[in-house]
Amino acid sequence: MNGKTMHWVNRLAVLGLVVGLVAGLAAAGSAQSVGGQAYSTYVNTPLGSSSQSPLAVLPAVSGTDGAEADAEGSALNVAGALSSDFLNSVTSGEIGSAEAGAQSTSSAASVNILNGLITADEVVANVMSSAGQSGAFSNADGSTFTNLTVAGVPVTSGDAAVAPNTQQSLPGVGYVVLNEQIPTGDGVTSSGLTVNMIHVYLQSMTGGTVDPLTGQVIGGIPTTTGEIIVGSATSSVGP
Amino acid sequence: MMREHGTLIVWPSLLAAGLLAAACTDQPNVNMAPKRPSFWFTPPPAQCVTGKWTGGGRIDPTGDRAASNYDNVDEPAGGQPAAPNPPPYMTGKVTFGFNVFLGQDGNGNCIVTKGEIEVNGHALKLAWHVSIHDGVDAYDGRPVYANEFSDGHRGGVCVVVGIPDMTARVNPGQGREGVQFEVCDNDRGGRQNTRSDAMRWRTAGHGDTGMTYLTGGNIVEHGS
Repeated sequence: MNGKTMHWVNRLAVLGLVVGLVAGLAAAGSAQSVGGQAYSTYVNTPLGSSSQSPLAVLPAVSGTDGAEADAEGSALNVAGALSSDFLNSVTSGEIGSAEAGAQSTSSAASVNILNGLITADEVVANVMSSAGQSGAFSNADGSTFTNLTVAGVPVTSGDAAVAPNTQQSLPGVGYVVLNEQIPTGDGVTSSGLTVNMIHVYLQSMTGGTVDPLTGQVIGGIPTTTGEIIVGSATSSVGP
Repeated sequence: MMREHGTLIVWPSLLAAGLLAAACTDQPNVNMAPKRPSFWFTPPPAQCVTGKWTGGGRIDPTGDRAASNYDNVDEPAGGQPAAPNPPPYMTGKVTFGFNVFLGQDGNGNCIVTKGEIEVNGHALKLAWHVSIHDGVDAYDGRPVYANEFSDGHRGGVCVVVGIPDMTARVNPGQGREGVQFEVCDNDRGGRQNTRSDAMRWRTAGHGDTGMTYLTGGNIVEHGS
């Protein structure tokens, strides 16, 4: 083997190494961590409380692996605050050589919040997060309400979505956020999304003064005194 | 001597680079097994490569083959019978999540070595759960056979779990029912599109969803 040939062989070797390493790094560009959680109901009010239930939390996933967790609940009743049935939560996640992701879903049927102030035949929260060579993203496709009413007014007819972060006032109670979406991540190497389909914020005024003529509270600051969540799902991918 | 030494370094380097590139590429794990007759009477499938599948989300089967979310392309791809089999069509919201690892038994048959599958039929208010440990269905003690094959989408691949069937716990009531689960990953390695993947759930007593594109979620075949 002469020197010239050796020169080309060396160049080829370097090229091969570079190509191999680049291909390897590109393929390994998927996320190295995934997370997921889902629960159907959560109540924290002066009327009563109930922890996140039924709660499914994605176990740790490492290497090129995957996992699933699920939880079922027949019915929940926190008197005066929330009643619901057919409660289900599922989350799963995976890390592959080219892509990684997580997906979570939770549901609740026959939903009745605050003695009929908010009702729905069914609520489904559904999120997914994915990361690969084209970047990282999340969405809440499949998150819907079935025959949702708020303060007696129909919001959805049949099974339908509501615009993200739709807020409605609940006079004397506080307010509700429908399809509350909380994104995380940079959209390049990481992404996450939490969806709370119904999130009621109970509020009271503190620090105000009572008008002696009308009896109404003037001024003051609204303070959150409790919350009710129905249909929560979270998924995330990260470096 | 130096040149010879250099050559000894060069070729292993090339080999290593090639192996690294190959190892890091998301190769399809596809069994091109021949199509099979009606699934409920089909013997265990041929060999399959080891593989891992994970996913979840929601389908909204309607029982209408003309509906835009009916996956007519993938339904017969593995030799599966046309839905509804058994009848009727299972319709309404169906949510699910799963994780299954494929392997081979001593005879080379494709089996699920471990897995969890949860399917919720909202119209029926039924929750099915399949649990597989050490290659055995936790609810009937039988091996769970599977099959993996290319589908009707370019680069797409599907897995059928439970051949000819497997046993699921059914709640409420802790009942038992023969079931079969099938999912297709049609966007492997590319940007994930919720509505390109598909799922089918067949039950002995509550019907068949038919192969249905996801309304939300994702199906991922993530290698061996």
